[in-house]
Amino acid sequence: MDKNYDVIIIGAGVAGALIADKLAKKWKVLLLEAGEKGRERVELVGSYLTATAQTLGSPYKPVPAPAKNMAPSPDGTNDYYDQPPGTENPMVFKSTYERRVGGSTWHWLGNCPRLLPSDFKSNTLYGFGKDWPITYDDLEPWYCQAEKELGVAGDHEQLNGLFGAHRSQAFPMNRIWPSYSDLKVAEALQGAAQQWSDFNNEPMVLFCTPQARNSVPYDGRPVCTGNSSCVPICPVGAKYDGSVHVNKAVANKATLSEKSIVTRITAAKDGSITGVTFIDWDGREHSVSAKLVVLAANAIESPKLLLLSGLANRSDQVGRNLMDHPQGEGLCVSREPLFPFRGPPTTSGIDKFRDGAFRKDFCAFRMSMGNDGGGRTQSPANVLNQLLKTDFGASLRTKLREKVIRQFRISFLAEMKPLPSNRVTLSSQVDDAMIPRPKLSFNVDDYTMKGFDRIADVMRSILLALGSKPEDLVLPNHSTPFLAAGHIMGTCRMGTDPNDSVVDAECRSHDHKNLFIAGSSVFPTGGTANPTLTIAAISLRMAQSIDNQLKMSQT
Amino acid sequence: MKNASRSALISLLSEACELEHGLACSYLYAAFTLKLSVSENDLTWQEFQSLRIWAGQLYFIASQEMMHLSQAWNLLTAIGGTPYYMRPNFPQGHKYYPIGLPLKLEPFGRRALKRFTFYELPSHVSDTAFLEKEFRIKLSAIEKAFTVGKLYTEIRACFNAIPQDELFIGDKSLQVGADICHFNEIVKVTDRESANRAIDTIMEQGEGNSNDQVDCHYGLFVRLDKELDQLEQAARTRSGKFEPARPAIEDPITSFDRNMGPQGAHKIEDPYTNDVAILFDNVYSLMLRMLQYVFQSGPLPADGQRRFAEAAIQIMARALKPLGEALTLLPAGPSYPGKTAGPAFGLYRHVSLPADFNAATIMVNERFEELIAEGRKLSTHPKAPAVLLSGISKLEDIANRLMFTPKPITV
Repeated sequence: MDKNYDVIIIGAGVAGALIADKLAKKWKVLLLEAGEKGRERVELVGSYLTATAQTLGSPYKPVPAPAKNMAPSPDGTNDYYDQPPGTENPMVFKSTYERRVGGSTWHWLGNCPRLLPSDFKSNTLYGFGKDWPITYDDLEPWYCQAEKELGVAGDHEQLNGLFGAHRSQAFPMNRIWPSYSDLKVAEALQGAAQQWSDFNNEPMVLFCTPQARNSVPYDGRPVCTGNSSCVPICPVGAKYDGSVHVNKAVANKATLSEKSIVTRITAAKDGSITGVTFIDWDGREHSVSAKLVVLAANAIESPKLLLLSGLANRSDQVGRNLMDHPQGEGLCVSREPLFPFRGPPTTSGIDKFRDGAFRKDFCAFRMSMGNDGGGRTQSPANVLNQLLKTDFGASLRTKLREKVIRQFRISFLAEMKPLPSNRVTLSSQVDDAMIPRPKLSFNVDDYTMKGFDRIADVMRSILLALGSKPEDLVLPNHSTPFLAAGHIMGTCRMGTDPNDSVVDAECRSHDHKNLFIAGSSVFPTGGTANPTLTIAAISLRMAQSIDNQLKMSQT
Repeated sequence: MKNASRSALISLLSEACELEHGLACSYLYAAFTLKLSVSENDLTWQEFQSLRIWAGQLYFIASQEMMHLSQAWNLLTAIGGTPYYMRPNFPQGHKYYPIGLPLKLEPFGRRALKRFTFYELPSHVSDTAFLEKEFRIKLSAIEKAFTVGKLYTEIRACFNAIPQDELFIGDKSLQVGADICHFNEIVKVTDRESANRAIDTIMEQGEGNSNDQVDCHYGLFVRLDKELDQLEQAARTRSGKFEPARPAIEDPITSFDRNMGPQGAHKIEDPYTNDVAILFDNVYSLMLRMLQYVFQSGPLPADGQRRFAEAAIQIMARALKPLGEALTLLPAGPSYPGKTAGPAFGLYRHVSLPADFNAATIMVNERFEELIAEGRKLSTHPKAPAVLLSGISKLEDIANRLMFTPKPITV
């Protein structure tokens, strides 16, 4: 490894990888990743299949396990985060992430909806959060490019103009075909109650869920073959993950350094960033300098590193406004068989509730129709465990089959307000690398919890229309702990005012002109879109800004 | 273009139908022979994962060939032709098409992949040394070879040469779109622009275009070949062998085939296997007749067009696949020691369903009953692989859920 680079990028997830790929063609780029590159996909699949506890992180544990876990990834609420125990407090932060080359996109679901135009203006329109310093129209061309880079399959005709979100280009691939259960749900929606006083009078219809999953061979990757194990790993590589662009960046002559945990971003007295210090997994320290640094380490690790470095925090917003999309499920047993698990876990959703005047009072939400039976909480294994209490032999087999082929779930993603008290700070506890762990304070307020009750009403309507018996419904309510979406956002937010934001509209730190922050940490609000496509769009836009800045610095 | 005429175009499109159809069968045969269980011979589970991925790609390519067939039917009906599903049975004479290589039913392997690569060869690809070595074809013959891409180039030229208002005389209501038949990219053809779009899609998926030879069929076969080579080399390194395919015979035929003399044909001798192979051919034939009906009928009562289409596609994926796989597990017969059979994809009569929907439903329901009864009987045999029973139960499920109760006929 050299000692001097044009650009150092911290974090080889989707954001860092895209930026590295775009910049490496012209500039000398170092991509530092705390985690490892790891084993081949087939070995990761094997680890998952043989794991005793099949969690999100189970494919990705280093093998053999190192003596010290130098770059721990959270795989639960308290194994890495310093926060109250999840067993005692339902409001704890639950989302996790993977520190490895390619990042958390290894285990993401792959959904790629865009934010809506109104999501960029939640303060002006609905009185909460901060408006983004950019608009949907500013980002639209980059959304198109992001869809090409990741390889997103979707229905352009159907989604063009959704709540004003125009699309200037078609998706690079046609939609993943709706699952059989989607077709049945679409029929059932026609008989479902459609009128609620809070919402507009548009009917509930299914929209395709755009997803970074190949509906045809694309970019040298195979077509989806319906393994239905997208979370936590696609066995064939049809689902996009950040390693795609890491490999492209390396092919473009970027230097990738895995197992490199950045401990400090260094700055000169005038505030200009000079480089970084990092340690490898053997504990040896290294220093590298650069003209410009991009921090792309996700919305918990990025603010953690800034706080460790004492940088970029004139506004006191670094680490604040931590957001997720509180998520939940409604479950039923349908009257007719729906034959889940053929194809991705979700292919369609209901977008009707993503916007409207109601957002002044309670949260917007997006619903996904499941193609994975009883979802996370009523898996086939759970059903089997329950039935084993009373059945065995042929009777067990029949009952198991009859239930599993009829199980159905609807998930929802709810928006939450950015709250300054929801934050990442530095814990006094350290990890094996002697680096402070992230300390989290987190709460979901009434704005979102009120939404849960509305969500339950809507779900009840749909699930009953599927012919489920009321006693078989499982619905979220005020007291139901929400699930995690893995959508960690908000902790280094964008804004025009340096006194209440961390980065400007180009994602450049207000305080350090050669420090950029990438990823969903820059989101001022979360809307109801899975964040990865927006991350990708902003990263591609940022890469151009960085390229321009570097060019200007040469003249 | 010289000699561009409707009849020349119908002839070319019919040849395209035969080729797309035949290619689908070839690709499916190779896919059926892939070993699906780690317990088969000495596969490691990592090798097994590769096979699963390869099978997925092959089934996908075969499904696109069926989309191409359906698209060719839209092109035919747009100009006054009718959907055509016949094709020459296997083995095919090597001069039947001016394609250079006959279509063939052979197990998955290097040779099959090289053959598939040739079928989808882009026009500008010049690295054909493997063809010379593998199939002993001279380079000059390859240059003249009439590939699928060249056939569609000629079809396109014909569409563009004949005036639109003379050419597009077909009933527009016969055009089938993705709302009826679950092929995402299928184009309804009503004019020259849509015809060209349809041909573009077929060619890009097959041979790719100047910007992309990676994600088209050609590129996929090149990649599969490379991956197979890598696994074979890895196996040799550990002093082992990598045998991804079951030892199926090539170009099987059943006792139903009266034309039993063609060179290269391998008659299935095991009586039970032969009965299963005949069942496969009958289910296959029913599927084709139902699919053809969708493309020649236009809108039907009771959402019939969509339901026939869905039934046909479900038969392909849920019934024919397990039946085909079952055949590659069954013995071919005493003349083929250690070898298994495979489906013959035999087509012997081109019997369309009647135009009247009620009559067509009666005939399809009757045929379902007959085939399910035969399948149930074969499933009870001690030799019956589990996957055969799975295929028959799926066929029954399709019949129960998708078909209609016809109106009684009074005479």
